[in-house]
Amino acid sequence: MFPIRRRNFITGGAALLALGASKSAKAQPAPAMTPHEKELYEAAKKEGGELTWYTAQSDDITAQALGRSFEQVYPGLKVNVLRTTAQVAYQRVTQEIKASAIQCDVLSTTDIGHCVALKANGSLEKYVPDNSSKVLDIYKNYDPDGTYFVTSAGMIGIGYNTGKVKEADAPKNWTDLLDPKWKDNIALGHPAFSGYVGTWALTLRNQYGWDFFEKLAKNNPRIGRSINDTVTMLNAGESAIAGSGPVGTLMESVQKGNPLAMMYPTDGTVLIIAPSGIMKGCKHLNGARLYMEFLMSPGASQIWVDHFNETIRPEVSVPKGVKSAKDLKTIRPTVDQIVKGIPEVIKQWRDTFGV
Amino acid sequence: MSKLELTGVSKRYGDFLAVDGIDLELQSGEFVSLLGPSGCGKTTTLRMIAGFVDPTLGTIEMEGRILSSPSGSVPPDRRQMSMIFQSYAIWPNMTVGQNVAFGLELRKIGKAETKRRVGEMLEVVHMGHLADRYPAELSGGQQQRVALARAIVIRPSVLLLDEPLSNLDAALREEMRFEIRRLHDEFHVTTVYVTHDQAEAMVTSDRIAVMNHGRIEQVDVPRALYDRPKTRFVAGFIGRTNFIEGSSDGHQIAFDGFALPCTGFDTAAAGSKLMFSVRPHSMRLSQTPPAEPNGAIGVVVVERAFLGEHWDYVVRPRDGAHTLRVTTSPMQDFPVGATAWLEFEAGQMALIA
Amino acid sequence: MTDNSLDARAVHFAGVVSRLRRLDASMLLWLALIAVLVFLILNPVLRLIISSLQETGTGHLTLENYRSAYGSLRHLEALARSLELGAGVAVLATCFGVPIAWAISRTDMPCKAFVRLMVFAAFVTPPYLGAIGWILLAGPNSGWLNKVWMALTGASHGIFNIYSMTGLILVVAVTSFPYTFVFTSSALDLVSSEMEDAANILGARTLRTMLRITLPLVTPAIIGGIIISFLEAIALFGAPALIALPARFNVVSTQLWQFFEYPVRVEEAAAYAMPLLAITVLMFWIQRRIVGRRGYTSVTGKGGERRMIALGPWRWAMLAYALLVGALSVFLPMLVLLQAAFAKAWGRGFSLDNLTLHNFYYLLFEQTQAKQTIINTFLYAAITAFAAISLTLAIAYVVNRKLVPFSNVLAFLCMAPFVVPGIVLAIGFYAAYASPPLALYGTATILILGFTTRFLPIAYTSSAAGLRSINPEMEEAVRVLGGSRLLAIRKVLIPLLKKSLAGAWILVFIPATRELSSAIFLVGPNTRVISVMLYDLSEEGNFEVLAALGVILLVVTVVIAAIGSKVIGRDFMLRRNS
Repeated sequence: MFPIRRRNFITGGAALLALGASKSAKAQPAPAMTPHEKELYEAAKKEGGELTWYTAQSDDITAQALGRSFEQVYPGLKVNVLRTTAQVAYQRVTQEIKASAIQCDVLSTTDIGHCVALKANGSLEKYVPDNSSKVLDIYKNYDPDGTYFVTSAGMIGIGYNTGKVKEADAPKNWTDLLDPKWKDNIALGHPAFSGYVGTWALTLRNQYGWDFFEKLAKNNPRIGRSINDTVTMLNAGESAIAGSGPVGTLMESVQKGNPLAMMYPTDGTVLIIAPSGIMKGCKHLNGARLYMEFLMSPGASQIWVDHFNETIRPEVSVPKGVKSAKDLKTIRPTVDQIVKGIPEVIKQWRDTFGV
Repeated sequence: MSKLELTGVSKRYGDFLAVDGIDLELQSGEFVSLLGPSGCGKTTTLRMIAGFVDPTLGTIEMEGRILSSPSGSVPPDRRQMSMIFQSYAIWPNMTVGQNVAFGLELRKIGKAETKRRVGEMLEVVHMGHLADRYPAELSGGQQQRVALARAIVIRPSVLLLDEPLSNLDAALREEMRFEIRRLHDEFHVTTVYVTHDQAEAMVTSDRIAVMNHGRIEQVDVPRALYDRPKTRFVAGFIGRTNFIEGSSDGHQIAFDGFALPCTGFDTAAAGSKLMFSVRPHSMRLSQTPPAEPNGAIGVVVVERAFLGEHWDYVVRPRDGAHTLRVTTSPMQDFPVGATAWLEFEAGQMALIA
Repeated sequence: MTDNSLDARAVHFAGVVSRLRRLDASMLLWLALIAVLVFLILNPVLRLIISSLQETGTGHLTLENYRSAYGSLRHLEALARSLELGAGVAVLATCFGVPIAWAISRTDMPCKAFVRLMVFAAFVTPPYLGAIGWILLAGPNSGWLNKVWMALTGASHGIFNIYSMTGLILVVAVTSFPYTFVFTSSALDLVSSEMEDAANILGARTLRTMLRITLPLVTPAIIGGIIISFLEAIALFGAPALIALPARFNVVSTQLWQFFEYPVRVEEAAAYAMPLLAITVLMFWIQRRIVGRRGYTSVTGKGGERRMIALGPWRWAMLAYALLVGALSVFLPMLVLLQAAFAKAWGRGFSLDNLTLHNFYYLLFEQTQAKQTIINTFLYAAITAFAAISLTLAIAYVVNRKLVPFSNVLAFLCMAPFVVPGIVLAIGFYAAYASPPLALYGTATILILGFTTRFLPIAYTSSAAGLRSINPEMEEAVRVLGGSRLLAIRKVLIPLLKKSLAGAWILVFIPATRELSSAIFLVGPNTRVISVMLYDLSEEGNFEVLAALGVILLVVTVVIAAIGSKVIGRDFMLRRNS
């Protein structure tokens, strides 16, 4: 796995300024299209030049950036970017399937169980992108049948508001969250909405048993919906700790000037593997295929790291000073555990927390 | 001491003078009407008596106590008066009984006593059997009775009525004006009654104050207003009349086309121009020439209309230009164009100032 | 003799034929209108009821849905919470709306135009936007009000917690009170001052007159307002989703939403939604019982002038109260929303270096959906308003002029959607029309149809009221002179109704722009509207962009309404010319 480095924390300021500077120098021209891409591009234009993308893999800003980048690389094509939480996106595609009116072309979810279920249902189109062999090894071969592929990854740690919590006092690992001193001050997402939170809850259940959450409930956490809600709570000063803190969103918020910081727990940062797939019967098949290529391209990974997410391509690396999965101890559940476990976790959560 | 006294009461709205120097005195138990055309200020005067409007000038006193003056007024809820409104203002969400009981409840009269007095009052207005009905279930006349009952049951010092019959049809109006007078007589309530209908005023009132342009032109008993109008307006407003102008030379008064001797008239200022009001029924129209000369004049029938109970004739003196209206009994039938004799009665010719 | 009888028979026959022809045309008309109403109202509701009795996937009849919907304690609790919310909102909205209505309609309180404007602003604000504003104001640790309190008193945490039932009731009540206000003030405008004078002169002073005479006279209106606020509150989705969830309780609408999570359980949702329907019907039945046989309108026509009651120094107290309500409903939330809309990071507060236009820029130029969403919202709302007004005007005409037998059935159907909460109606539409054969899922059509049905009652009430005020003799004059009925309608009726129709149009348009509860189930990716986008944005906590979008919504709505009322020439909120 990944060597455990000495913990270091990002404190904003200089590192971020450097980051900001380096970001603007990143405007590289897009690499030339491969013949396969060109073929798809022409076909996509003939289809109408438009495609619809449901994504839960990032916040709205990052998602929009990806869509726009695609439009720049492939002029004449338009992407309808619809960002929601994973369960909501999934709900919408299942509604569409039930109504036999598929609107979505590409689905990017954070709950790999969705893809497993859709594949079992025969609702995913088989397509193996050229780029799928070029991603980092850890992200390869989740579906040997080629109906879904990992297109993004993210991490969950513990975030905190530096105005309210000193670095020394901040929780160092997951079990520190159970300390009564954090009562009324922890923000969480909700697994019934967010795929990230679902996986996080499942991981911790694997690690510590559901008892962990029974105890956590005693600290009366503030429960939102999306995992990004936790960052909002920190920014607002409503909570001091983001119990399920998304690294990407939080770091982006730090860059905007907010007084936040990330803590990567000693017992492991949760790693989320987020897949995408093409909906069977979608209206813009070639556009969808081209988009899958795009999502796994270096260009897309660059955008991911620009917004503090992980890269899935070896060519692209995270900026200096920013932590990446390979630098940390990470923990995550298996695909089978996710498929079975998340619905269970949702039910247990409702029973424990009341909503 | 008079019950209600208005002294020099005026009301100005911006540039418009609605009420101009009203002086009026009511004795206890008296029924006085304010009669006049719309816009003459009668309703404004009534509302000042009630206390809804403050006078710009003048005072309103009741039994010596000042109620309204430019510097301040007793509010309407403390004047011990009652009012009947043009729209009856019966509260539709309460029964007849509850409506009538309202004023008594405010005066903290006990439940039993209230019930008794309400029952009594409703009997007086012949509405006893309808005590539990809601106003929507009543006719116009019945609602009017409820309004009266509600107003009178609290034994007000003054009862004010604001054109209460204008929403009723003719037959009901006749019936109700007798009712109002009857209730007045039974309870001896000092009453001020505002109307534009002279028949109503004549039937109900002890005295009538005829108003025009914010002023009282004449206050008098109905008979005197009719027989001896003091101004042209009063003469024309109460009943129909002929206005004839004449000049006196001491011996006789010369009119247009005829002359009458001065004897029999109250005044005989020589040389002055005199205006008389002559009622259509105060002259006699006959086919036979008069017994004495100068007792009647010859006239020609210009127009006529048969109204069932009387004939309406328009006649012209043979030597004159101005026409006169004459009323005769249905029996006297003069065709148009026929000649006839018109006899005057000096005593019935009112001199108008 | 023979001639005469032939004539007589000819006349008789002609009479029968013309009666038949009229019957034909009117029958056709009746059938056409019924068909439309069945499609819009009866079918979705019936499908909903049937769905509730069906097993998922197979369609067999079963009571299982009811059992699982009501067998769970959590679900029952959600129902109880909804009732609590509805009752609380009804009471609070009445406390807000009725005194202000009385003050404006019957007293000499100053600054009436401003207060009316403020009520209008509250009406235009969607409840979920108000909820966001209040979260920014009264979040237990972060809300501005709490921060001020903590600064003033040195306390360690604030005293207001918006994440509570009380908080939710407040948030919903401040956007619901315009209903109680409009109902009460239009009724009060009709009360002749003589009613109050009569009490006055019998010895009752201002307060007693108001409590014993004036307000009881408008009891039906007040009850109407209470019922509407109650029903709106229990059917709301947005504000409860934002506040109840963090407060850790569910209401029926948020619970229904859960039934639409994967796997979609329409049937169970339908079963769970039935009580909402039942409650609504019950409410209206109660209203009829209370109003009963007492008449409430002034029985005579004359003497109906309205004078303002002089309150003396109390008028400032009334104004203060109105301004307090205004602060809670409009000023405070708007202030924080504006701050967030122009902020880089709203948590950083009011400082010059926190100001930016980037949020608006992002929405209008970078977010690929926002522009289309904004256009969609106003386009759909406009179409809905036109459709609703046209349909209800036709029906109101038919009912008012009694053109067909049983015309009251049409009127009843038009008002029926009132009893169906928006969210339930949407589920019904989804059940009836989303799948093949019509396959309207994700189309603008299903959204517009859903909205039109939702707003039929308002449209019908306005159309019918407008028609009632027109004397049929106007059209009869045209017909006597030889014009057809259609000509009479076109040349006489419509011009006369212009103003009242424009007012009705706005009364449908504005709620349609902010509708969330039914939209959330019916939108597709291409037909998103602002309300749904705001909800989605709130999911990821991007309050700055959310506030900017909310500001855009409010500004455009207000501009359109302002133009509208200039065109109409009077306040569309049913105000009589005073």
